[in-house]
Amino acid sequence: MATPPPNNSLQTMLRAAVQSVQWTYSLFWQLCPHKGILTWGDGYYNGAIKTRKTVQAMEVSTEEASLQRSEQLRELYESLSGGETNAKTRRPCASLSPEDLTETEWFYLLCVSFSFHPGLGLPGTAYARRQHLWLSGANEVDSKTFSRAILAKTVVCIPVLEGVVELGTTDKMEEDLNFIQHIKSFFIDQQHPALTAKPALSEQYSTSKPTSSSSSYPLVTANNTIPIQNIVDRGEAIILNNNTKEAELAVPNSSFIPSELMELDATLEEFRVGSSGDGSNHLDSFPTEKSMALCSAGLELLQLQLPPAPAHPPTENLAQGGTDTHYSQTVSSILQKNSRRWPESPSLNLLTDSFQSAFNKWNSGADDYQHHFHVSVASVTSQWLLKYILFSVPYLHTNWLKGKGTSPYETSHVMAERHRREKLNERFLILRSMVPSVTRMDKASILGDTIEYIKQLRDKIESLEARKRLTGKRRMRQVEVSIIESEALLEVECVHREGLLLDLMTKLRELGVEVMMVQSWVKDDGVFVAEMRAMVRENGNGIKASVIEVKNALNQIIPRHEPYTLASSDHF
Amino acid sequence: MENSTEESHLRSENSVTYESPYPIYGMSFSPSHPHRLALGSFIEEYNNRVDILSFHPDTLSVTPHPSLSFDHPYPPTKLMFHPRKPSPSSSSDLLATSGDYLRLWEIRDNSVDAVSLFNNSKTSEFCAPLTSFDWNDIDPNRIATSSIDTTCTIWDIERTLVETQLIAHDKEVYDIAWGEARVFASVSADGSVRIFDLRDKEHSTIIYESPHPDTPLLRLAWNKQDLRYMATILMDSNKVVILDIRSPTTPVAELERHRGSVNAIAWAPHSSTHICSAGDDTQALIWELPTLASPTGIDPVCMYSAGCEINQLQWSAAQPDWIAIAFANKMQLLKV
Repeated sequence: MATPPPNNSLQTMLRAAVQSVQWTYSLFWQLCPHKGILTWGDGYYNGAIKTRKTVQAMEVSTEEASLQRSEQLRELYESLSGGETNAKTRRPCASLSPEDLTETEWFYLLCVSFSFHPGLGLPGTAYARRQHLWLSGANEVDSKTFSRAILAKTVVCIPVLEGVVELGTTDKMEEDLNFIQHIKSFFIDQQHPALTAKPALSEQYSTSKPTSSSSSYPLVTANNTIPIQNIVDRGEAIILNNNTKEAELAVPNSSFIPSELMELDATLEEFRVGSSGDGSNHLDSFPTEKSMALCSAGLELLQLQLPPAPAHPPTENLAQGGTDTHYSQTVSSILQKNSRRWPESPSLNLLTDSFQSAFNKWNSGADDYQHHFHVSVASVTSQWLLKYILFSVPYLHTNWLKGKGTSPYETSHVMAERHRREKLNERFLILRSMVPSVTRMDKASILGDTIEYIKQLRDKIESLEARKRLTGKRRMRQVEVSIIESEALLEVECVHREGLLLDLMTKLRELGVEVMMVQSWVKDDGVFVAEMRAMVRENGNGIKASVIEVKNALNQIIPRHEPYTLASSDHF
Repeated sequence: MENSTEESHLRSENSVTYESPYPIYGMSFSPSHPHRLALGSFIEEYNNRVDILSFHPDTLSVTPHPSLSFDHPYPPTKLMFHPRKPSPSSSSDLLATSGDYLRLWEIRDNSVDAVSLFNNSKTSEFCAPLTSFDWNDIDPNRIATSSIDTTCTIWDIERTLVETQLIAHDKEVYDIAWGEARVFASVSADGSVRIFDLRDKEHSTIIYESPHPDTPLLRLAWNKQDLRYMATILMDSNKVVILDIRSPTTPVAELERHRGSVNAIAWAPHSSTHICSAGDDTQALIWELPTLASPTGIDPVCMYSAGCEINQLQWSAAQPDWIAIAFANKMQLLKV
């Protein structure tokens, strides 16, 4: 068999093929001899570019841009799926980030992570059967099951060399045998001369076309009439592939047809394994489901959309599970790396480089410890030197000056402020000594107590003034009598009435008090005032009247209230 | 052991250590002579020294210049080179030191001369002791000093006179920093950060007060790449407080990953969002300020661990790849 061509040559062929038909991408699934599976060999991206990243300011041609893009997409995949070592490697500023991709580019990127066993998936099936597979309107088929349509509406897989060439486009294209031949022509030159029988096969194929118009329909269409036609078609293909056994196959012709029918049934069952929808979903299950799940940005969505794994032959089951596990791990790895990488601060790297700086990176592990660390920094040695410079060094000068016997340093404004404070303090002390009840020594308390004391003094003043007014009223009725041996001095002050003085003198005569001199007047407010001087004589019993007797007698005569006045009038 | 050896090997390629005969506090890179470094001694006596070193990044070595060392009274509280070349034709450098006075020194090729001595006291021959100062890089004829007498003084360098003197705070002023040609800020024992404008000397704006009453603020750094931000540290605190002058009193960030008190802070000379801090926990941390506040706190970008408490920190403006730290009697140059 032919040796697989070198990568550069392969990519050149892929580029020439995809550009000649103006499709979106081309891939080569290469058979790995050791594992026996198809893996991503190389690819060329020929679609829309979202964010162009290039160091050169020059404009590049479209072809160069696409080639550059294909390489950048491959580098991005490697960096995203690489290990910790790759993450630390500093990537050039022109490197892509996941946010720089269009959806088409994203789909292309994800293909790198896939691999197919022969007979599984679109590439695997094409390889196993050595026939091309043309999937048209894939997005319409899948949209019945998934919320998002895939972007490659048409996918073609063609077995060549030791693998399968896959092309995809965002346009819906009907199957075209000329297209297949055209693509094959880019790879057929490399084939071994022994395979020149292929052209004969092609001729036979095209010859059979007029007699079998049904072959132009999509291969995967579930139609009752189609299976019969396909059986005949595949039978012919098999016969042609085994020319040396042609006579032998012709003999058991009747048994051949039932065998093909059983094979078709098995294929249909295999198709339905992948999903509950059409059998075609199985062929397209890997790139379509996975990429759409990723586009939905949810691993859970991916798990939900995958149907429960049905009973399988052991090998197929393992292959199926392996593929799913591989994909989940890839997506998880990408998401984890992205979440760690994107928030990274560029200025941090700009400021310090651990390998060149004397400073070490701050340990985030110590961060947890720091959160529980309660700093108690007040101590004898805390900030010792700084405090000495600020608190002690300036006063070294003063000691030195005193040591020299010079007059100590003095600043006028400091002294002025000091004097003002001393004066205030002194006056606060005086105030404190003047206030009888002092609760505390601080200035606010002194002021408070002073305020309270002033209030008390004001209350006392008001009380005394009120008392004075009451005392004045009581003096409106007053009799003063003093007797020294035989001389008496009398003072009377009361409300005036007519004939009062005569009544007083008459009463005194009855008591043996003989009036010698009288002064009396009536004030403007109607108050009668009398001052009398008298001689006290012994009565018949030889006893003089006492002060109390005289006072009580006079009090009975001076008016108390109006009724008394009326009584006096009656007397008059 | 193997890791330690390998780490030591790596470290020796990105750091340089200079051992001084005495403890070090003051430090300054020279902007006009990219490889020049000044170190001030810390001896609790009258006699102290200032040394001039040359740094060679190619060979990772430091060379002292004995002919350029000079005596200085008392430990200098701050050293600072002239922010620009004094004159294009001259190869000499100007160095200012603060302490009992503000002093100006001319560093020539092989000798040092005492140029000026600044006294702000009108009634005495002695100046009020100075805690720090800053050289205006926009108008290099101005130096602002902070003092324990609660004042800040603006000096006219050429005329050796006081341009103006302000009663800046209620207590000692511990640090000062220029923002623009006529705008400076200061921190004090009264726990406040104030901004002054020489065009309006009657007023000052308080943009921050420490949360606990009377907790002094010790150091201040103004972000020269983005004048909206400055940083300060508190006494006995592991916090670096980042302030936005447009929103007074509320810090935009509090960096607290140090496990001891912070002694020094410096903004990156070439980046508006990076700052370095060093403290008693022997660590120098480089932080990057995020654009959005993080509820869980900000982690440093990277760290360096020295042997003991780091007292001083300078980030070279001429060579932004290098940071100088001082601890005990050692000065270390670290590659960022």
